[in-house]
Amino acid sequence: MAETLPKIAMMHSDALIARAREGDKNAQGKLMQVWYKRIYNFGYKFFFDHDLAMEVAQKTFISMHRNIEGLQETTRFKSWLYTIAVNYCREELRKRKASRSVSLHDLRPGESEESYRWEASSSRTENPEKQLRHSELSDLLQQCLMELSDEQREVVIMKEYEGLKFREIAEALSISENTVKSRMYYGLDGLKRILESKNITKETIGYEL
Amino acid sequence: MNYKPDESTLMAYLYGELDAKEAEKVHDYLSQHPEESHDLQQLREVQQILKHVQEKEVIAPPVFGDASSKQVHFWQTGYFKTMMSIAASFILILVAARLIGPEINYSNGELRISFNDARKTQEVVQPQPPSLTANEVQEMINSTVTKNNESITAGWEESQQKMNQSIKSNFISNSRKLDELMEVTSQASQNQVRTFVASLQEENLKLMKDYLKLSSNEQKTYVEALLVDFSKYLQEQRKQDFQVFQTRMSSIEKNTDQFKQETEQILASIIANPEAAIRKVNNY
Repeated sequence: MAETLPKIAMMHSDALIARAREGDKNAQGKLMQVWYKRIYNFGYKFFFDHDLAMEVAQKTFISMHRNIEGLQETTRFKSWLYTIAVNYCREELRKRKASRSVSLHDLRPGESEESYRWEASSSRTENPEKQLRHSELSDLLQQCLMELSDEQREVVIMKEYEGLKFREIAEALSISENTVKSRMYYGLDGLKRILESKNITKETIGYEL
Repeated sequence: MNYKPDESTLMAYLYGELDAKEAEKVHDYLSQHPEESHDLQQLREVQQILKHVQEKEVIAPPVFGDASSKQVHFWQTGYFKTMMSIAASFILILVAARLIGPEINYSNGELRISFNDARKTQEVVQPQPPSLTANEVQEMINSTVTKNNESITAGWEESQQKMNQSIKSNFISNSRKLDELMEVTSQASQNQVRTFVASLQEENLKLMKDYLKLSSNEQKTYVEALLVDFSKYLQEQRKQDFQVFQTRMSSIEKNTDQFKQETEQILASIIANPEAAIRKVNNY
């Protein structure tokens, strides 16, 4: 994966975080620009739902703006931000379980042209058919992720997609590093079995693509 | 070799978060235990498959940092400003109240506005002279009223008497004049009527005589003319009747002559040719 501009910006965001902590509005805005996509994607992979992901991302950054001045160390910004995101994710999950509502998109996921997934296919350089297949595979894998427990899913997403270190995940979830690692292990193990049950292997993916 | 890496160590190894020594240990262990190595390889494959989950593109909403941070900055100052403004307004009210207040307190020692107190004292002073004059005023009013009444009644009676006198005198004079006029007019009218009637009678007689004379003459002439005309008409009628009678008689004579000639011709033809005549009669 090529390193995109936001990623590079993220690596050099220490100065930005320091300024944001001092109450620099521009720095806070830039931080949000840099991190918004990451937090949204975290939420999206956690819920497999656009609206909930948007909700969580917005709440996370509102909270960030309010509380960043209380952040002690700039190096802990990443885990701090994911702590907020995870807390909002859990809150939404509780709400959703309480209300038992089902998103309209989940009733016929990715079938309609009006689906946000259709609109989301943004990379125009690829072959549309391949793009669509890839999108289907992505949704399929996403469904596999949803079969994991919430705790395992959190860890897998943070580790696998958000690239946090085990130490950082432990900080974000305020649990021990070993617990994170074991959750990760069982998460991967569980995914392996889920993928097998759906007959998704390296070979079948290679054939499809 | 009793070393056996636990799950968390394996995870750290898988994601390369072990230090060099630990990583080497695990590597050695895995090379000796192909089953474990296979399991880990499978997990790696899972990792590889998971890489195919696409990133969702999303655009960050417009920066709301400005508004929120402004709120943070202005929160304290704004709060204090409102508090200060409220306090200042209270102070202004209190100062204004105190500036006006002492005048009340010094005058009566009561919590009343000074202007009201001044008015009250004035009201107290004023009633005393009116209480003395009130009776006088009433008396004055009464006297004037009685005087007015008397003068009005006197004037009224005088005027009434004058009016009555004048009305009476006028009435008497008017009645006299009317009587005189009536007498004059009645006398004049009797004479006039008599003369008028007499003249009318005379005129009527004259007119009647003239009319009778004229009408008798006219009637005579008219009747004479009528008689003459009637006689003329009769004579004309006789002449016309006579002429008509003559023409009729002549026509009858002509008809009889023709008939005679026809009968003579028929008799002559019958005598000349009796057989043909009989045949004609039989044919009919």
